[in-house]
Amino acid sequence: MIIVEHLTKRYGTTLAVQDLNFTVGAGEILGFLGPNGAGKTTTMRMLTGYMPPTAGTAKIAGYDVLADSLAVRQRIGYLPETPPLYRDMTVEGYLHFVARIKGVSAGDRPRRVDWVIARCGLSERRQELIRKLSKGFRQRVGIAQAIVHDPPVIILDEPTVGLDPKQIIEVRHLIKSLAGDHTIILSTHILPEVHMTCDRVVIIHQGRVVATDTIDGLVSQLDHCRQYELTLSGPLAPFQQAVGQIPGVEAVQTQSEGDHHVVTVTTKGAAEVGPELAALAIHTGLRLYEMHRHRATLEDVFLQLTTQEEAGEPSAGA
Amino acid sequence: MRLLWANFVAIYRKELQGYFATSLNYGIAGVYWLLAGVFYIVVFNAVQTNVAAQDLQGQAGLAAPPVDVPAVILENYLGLLSSLSLFILPLLSMNLFAQERQQGTLELLATSPITTTTVALGKLAGVLTFFLTLLLPVMVYESVTLLQAEPPFSLGLILLGHGALVLLAAAILSLGLFISATTESTLLAAVGTFALILLLWILQAIADRISGAPAAILRHLSLLQNYTNLIQGSVSTASLVLFASYVILGVFLTVQWVDGLRFQRS
Repeated sequence: MIIVEHLTKRYGTTLAVQDLNFTVGAGEILGFLGPNGAGKTTTMRMLTGYMPPTAGTAKIAGYDVLADSLAVRQRIGYLPETPPLYRDMTVEGYLHFVARIKGVSAGDRPRRVDWVIARCGLSERRQELIRKLSKGFRQRVGIAQAIVHDPPVIILDEPTVGLDPKQIIEVRHLIKSLAGDHTIILSTHILPEVHMTCDRVVIIHQGRVVATDTIDGLVSQLDHCRQYELTLSGPLAPFQQAVGQIPGVEAVQTQSEGDHHVVTVTTKGAAEVGPELAALAIHTGLRLYEMHRHRATLEDVFLQLTTQEEAGEPSAGA
Repeated sequence: MRLLWANFVAIYRKELQGYFATSLNYGIAGVYWLLAGVFYIVVFNAVQTNVAAQDLQGQAGLAAPPVDVPAVILENYLGLLSSLSLFILPLLSMNLFAQERQQGTLELLATSPITTTTVALGKLAGVLTFFLTLLLPVMVYESVTLLQAEPPFSLGLILLGHGALVLLAAAILSLGLFISATTESTLLAAVGTFALILLLWILQAIADRISGAPAAILRHLSLLQNYTNLIQGSVSTASLVLFASYVILGVFLTVQWVDGLRFQRS
């Protein structure tokens, strides 16, 4: 549905986006992840045809964003970083206007506007002026304008920024419910968001793609080292001696507070030492309060990828 | 073609709704109507006093040429009304694109299947319509008084004079549209458009004071000179073409500029 090849954007001498390649299949939700200033907004603007790329191509539903700009614009819904709202319009009037300029036929318009108002939970505010709405509702109107014409491709630039936790959850549900019929690209720097909504992730850093994969794929790359954390009480010494004997255990760290201990066990490779650890703790007469396995998260992947890049940068420049 | 028209109407309607939803515009209309009314009374009385004085001189034996009183009133009044309008026009055009840029809605328009030319034309038509609604009451009281004249005065002349004013306004608003597209600040847009109008006045003053080919060129290109010609009743194709050219120039520059904005970093 979306094919991006060698997409590059240069502002004067600075490269904002460099040689971007990725594809998004129909019905997929792609998370576009990166720290602030990584080039997310620039990429989205190029995909919507708002900005011409310096080099490379992007195709949406088979149309080139530069050569067939109008055809592309008919097929996308776009929510920019700041929702493009006319403050002096009512919610309903605004959505009618957007539907009109997006080319929704006069017969379909009332139905589409009603649908999108219901879908975005705006029914009680439909007659209100946009400038009187709270930020959360404005964001919903912003999403509503992006989907009012039922576009096959939806591009959302940080759709949950500035919302309170309840609103964030609502917006995520809304986005999730749009998948399947629509292809969605969503940019964010909030990691749990990607986890909850997206099928696949593109991580970009300093204008370059540093990883493209499913979330599980990314996490498993880092998952070759696991940690177990146990909260125990009682005499610790026998346990500490025995735990080193278990095959696969690499390191043991202990933090003690009086009779209570928190033991962190790091394993190497895919060794599953959980049952042995639990059995050993009971066997050595300790009381086990809590035990959990710490797996690599998207945060770890993200931090590793983006800091690696920074560390590599000076040598690349030299 | 039908789609283009539908888009044009969409933008036009949105602009009109915007004008009637903004309280500032009611203030502008109020001040405009108040001053226009006062000016009309002043001109009306002044011309009549003058003519009465000339009549007295005529009775004293000094033959004065016959005066078409309604025509003189209309011409003088339209001169004043154009000056008044020139003060108001920057306030009408300042929001056209500056506000879209400021509130980020330009990004919506630019990513919708609608051309920048359509947007610019829709906006220009919207602001011109608002200006026309400012003129309508003025035309009503002119007609009520001037059509009482004996021998009868033609309504066509009133319409022609105001048509000329609308052309002048269209040219200025079109350039104001462009100035509004160059900035995110509505204040700067208003100041810029006002500076442009001052420049037109200055060029006119220069043209009046010099002679030869440069003066002729200035006079041909001067919006105010061509406006004066029109309200004096001398309609020439050259004047009409000139006004149309300014309108097209403004729209063209606007479209170029707005499309060029996409190449800039924001």
